[in-house]
Order: sequence, then structure tokens, then C-alpha cells
Amino acid sequence: MRLALNTLLLGVVVCLCGCQQEDKRINMAADVKSDNLLVNIVTKPVIYAFSWIIGEGVEIDRAVTYVNKDGFLQLDIAGHNRAFNTIVYEYKVEWLDKDGIVVDTATSKWLQTSAAARAPFAIKAVAPRTTAVDFRMNTRKIPN
Amino acid sequence: MIKKLLAFVLFASTVTLVGCNTPTENVDTINDQGKAVMQLDYRDFDRAASEMVQSMIESGTFKKEGGGRYVVAKGRIVNDTMQHIDTDQLMGKVEQELTRSGLVAMTAAVGADNTPKDSLVYSSRDLTRDSDKADEFNKDTVQAKGQLIAPELSISGKIIQRNIRYDNGKQQVEYYFQLQMNNLTNGLVFWQNEIVLGKRGSDKKVPW
Repeated sequence: MRLALNTLLLGVVVCLCGCQQEDKRINMAADVKSDNLLVNIVTKPVIYAFSWIIGEGVEIDRAVTYVNKDGFLQLDIAGHNRAFNTIVYEYKVEWLDKDGIVVDTATSKWLQTSAAARAPFAIKAVAPRTTAVDFRMNTRKIPN
Repeated sequence: MIKKLLAFVLFASTVTLVGCNTPTENVDTINDQGKAVMQLDYRDFDRAASEMVQSMIESGTFKKEGGGRYVVAKGRIVNDTMQHIDTDQLMGKVEQELTRSGLVAMTAAVGADNTPKDSLVYSSRDLTRDSDKADEFNKDTVQAKGQLIAPELSISGKIIQRNIRYDNGKQQVEYYFQLQMNNLTNGLVFWQNEIVLGKRGSDKKVPW
């Protein structure tokens, strides 16, 4: 009876520790942080496989533009990678003027970036002309 | 029958030989799907220049108080790689974008040794003011003395290459693009940035 009570108590403690609210500013990688009842050596392969099957990848949470103090349009993008592997990809930001015409600039090139597994990421870009008022962005996989 | 067979073999050989020739094609420099190479190619210069320019503009240090533009002279860009690089591949793009941004004006009159300057800035003065042909020029169109604008900033930098050999027949080549903008009045570094491009592949590939 005492043994059962101790086991139950231990189980509750483990559960509570597993459910402990983590600081969202800190992203601990799956193979760095402690396992818990839901994510452990047994369930990880299943979770990874499921993530791969449903094709989880990079998602954009928000894109904010603002004009900096020198009059140039600046773009801040925040997103997160839902996959369990690092995703390396390229992006190209094109700047648009008030008529929606692409501003010809040598900075609009395919640039490489990456998002770590299950982690947030940020992309920053600044238009090199004060005529830019909006943007559009494309992404692509790194050519193999 | 033999004649037909011979003709078929000849035709097949011709098709095969023609098929083996790799046709020349133009590189799509806008959406290039080509594989990465160990050496520096135009995509690397594009990337380095793009990130450098954006870093300069984002820094906010090039907005001149009281309006106007900073006048910038080309300093020396050292090529410390194993490749024959014309450093203008990088600097041309950087200067072009900085000039078009309206923040700076590049001077063609002053620059470090071995940097491209426009020799006509001086030779046209020599020709139109001091040579025996000077009389041929309308004096109102000849550049007066004291018109050249002295540079306030200079841009200089270095491209460095490091080769690192790994186990299992692999190597890593690291390229460091370093640029700095210096204030010629007081010698202080106005802005500075480094961009690292790394390439990893077979050590059979030659990075120069």
C-alpha cells in the first residue's frame, strides 16, 4: 500500500514537472531538454515521423514594416519552424513603390537563412530607396 | 538488310554523340537553380553586397546632419584569397546601391592606389587649361580651380579565405567579407561589418 502511494506521488510530481510552464523566450531543443511523459525516447520517433508525414515546416507569424528615422522602409518578419529538423531555405525581398512597381535594386537577391528545429526565427530587411512603401517576399528550397 | 542495319547503327551513333555534348545555356541570374560551388561565384558577391548595403542603411550612421550626402572615396580592398578576384565585383554593387540610396556620393577624383579612378578628372583640366590646345576651349566651360569636393569618408576592406580539412575526404572553405567606412577627418571607423560565407564539400574540389 505504501509502495503504491509512493509511486503515485512520484507520478504526480513527474507529471507536474512535465507540465511546468516554460519561459517562452527560451527554446530548448528536444535533445537538450529533459524528457517527460509525453515526449521521451519512446514517443519521439513517432512524433518526428508524424511531423514529417504531415509535412510540417516554416510558418510566418507576423510581418511588420515601418519607416526608419532615415526614411527607409524596414521589414521585420517573425516566424517559427514547426518541423523537428533545421530547415535551410532562401528568400528574396522585393520592394514596391507607391504604384506597386518593383524598385530596381541590387539588394533584392536570393539570400540564405535557416530556422532551427521547433524554434522561432526572424528575418530583417531594409529597402535601399526611400521610394519603397511596400514589399513582397518569395522563398525557395536551396537548389540541390 | 546489312545496308539498312549499317545505316541504323550510323544514325544511332550520331544521335548518341550529339546527345553527349552538353549544350551551352545562359545562366538565369535572377532565379539561378545552379548548385553551389567551392569558389566564389556571382551569387556569393550578390549576397555579400546585399547584406553589406542593408547593414549600412540600417545602421543609420550615413544620414548627414543638416542634409546632403557624404562624399566617399574608394579605399583599398585586399584580396586575401587563393582566387583571382577583381574586388570591384563586390565594391561595384555596394557603391552602386549606396549611391542610388541617396545617402552618399562616390568621388572619382580621389582614391587609394590601384583603385579605379577617373583619370579624366585631372587630364581634362590639364588639356583644357594648361595645354597648347587650351585656346580651343570655351573658357566658360572649362572647370574652374577649387571645384573638386574632398572626400569625407573612405571605404576599405578585405576578403579572406580559410581552408579547413575535415575527416572522410571533406573540406570546408570559409570566406570572410570585411568592409569598413572610415571618417577621413578624424580617422574613426564610422561603420564596420563582416559577412561569412562557408562552403563544405569534397576535398577533391579545388577552391581556387
